[in-house]
Amino acid sequence: MEHISHNFLLKTGQVLGRSFFPFFAITVIAGAVLWGPWVSLAITVMAVAAALRLI
Amino acid sequence: MGEPGNHGHGGRSRTEANLSGEAGHAQAASRRRILAHPQDWHCVIFHFVCLAAYACAFWLYQHPKLVGITGWWSRIAFVAASATMLGWISGIDVGVNFHNHSHRPIFTSHLVNRWFGRLWTFSGAWPSFFWEYCHVTIHHANLLTTKDWTLPKKRSDGSFENFQLYLFAHWPWRLMAHLSRELTMRRSLRRKSLRELAIFLLLWSIPFWIDPVMAVWLWALPHWIANTFVMGSGMYVQHSGCVEKTATEPVSHSTVFVSDFFNLTMFNIGFHLEHHEHPRVHWSELPELHRRLKQEMIDGGAHVVPYGNYHAAFLLAGDTERRKRFAEQDPGYRSR
Repeated sequence: MEHISHNFLLKTGQVLGRSFFPFFAITVIAGAVLWGPWVSLAITVMAVAAALRLI
Repeated sequence: MGEPGNHGHGGRSRTEANLSGEAGHAQAASRRRILAHPQDWHCVIFHFVCLAAYACAFWLYQHPKLVGITGWWSRIAFVAASATMLGWISGIDVGVNFHNHSHRPIFTSHLVNRWFGRLWTFSGAWPSFFWEYCHVTIHHANLLTTKDWTLPKKRSDGSFENFQLYLFAHWPWRLMAHLSRELTMRRSLRRKSLRELAIFLLLWSIPFWIDPVMAVWLWALPHWIANTFVMGSGMYVQHSGCVEKTATEPVSHSTVFVSDFFNLTMFNIGFHLEHHEHPRVHWSELPELHRRLKQEMIDGGAHVVPYGNYHAAFLLAGDTERRKRFAEQDPGYRSR
């Protein structure tokens, strides 16, 4: 059981890591439903700035 | 991988590194498998999540009250955020994810590879055949020579042209000029190109049938961002300051980007020198290849940096002082 859950967590982590940017994009776009378009724009600007500075 | 041979139509013959030892069983296993490599399901997921992001943005654009769009300014804010994020992920989806498929098709069926390829690159404003032609036949086969028109033009001292000039002039203007000339030269190539272009235009026009204004802002604009800022800057930074491969400078044709986060989220494209040396090594096996070639790269004076393409683009887009910082070597890769 422990092996199965470890394997599941590993695979989930891999999927989230490999497809990090598309999942992040969906969060920003769909998140506008919760927090509105201005917060989505602010997150986008910060994400681009962080990428250019850090990665 | 495990199949020594010629890569690409016009490519030079290379012996590929065998990292997984799969060669002996590859044929038998391929009859049972859908995917050519177990890690390739990440490529499929990535692409479907990208398409889902487009669908989500389109749907919300059509239902403005849900996202708090109350007028022109809030609509502009939604479009700016969505188009930037969609462009960013499309640039990775085509420039990195499909890129891997163009070297090592991810399915075992040729038919599925061809059609999935077409359904892959249309969301980055490319017919898949055109992208493969540019990347494999032109870029990989002629890296940094005068025939490699996919890269920035060179100044008389051998350095690349201005970063911003390359970004804004290359896609689609220079590309269209080169492709229209080269793909119409031979009759067979012309016929294939026209067929692929027709399939692409049919697929690419779908959002315009739904809502032409939405298609301009949430489809065409993200594609411009993807090609200009993501793929264009990627091409520039991967080979800036590099020289054509020769016997005296065998590992100075590409820069290596060793940021863990960058490589985790970008299908290991940071191991670019290794990729050009062994283009048919699977993307998931590039870190292992990097470990094996590390000493050889250090001894050969390969340029290695501790960050990824994005920070490299930030440095190369700046003034002389910032550009100099790009030339600095990762401390872990300095020869003693």
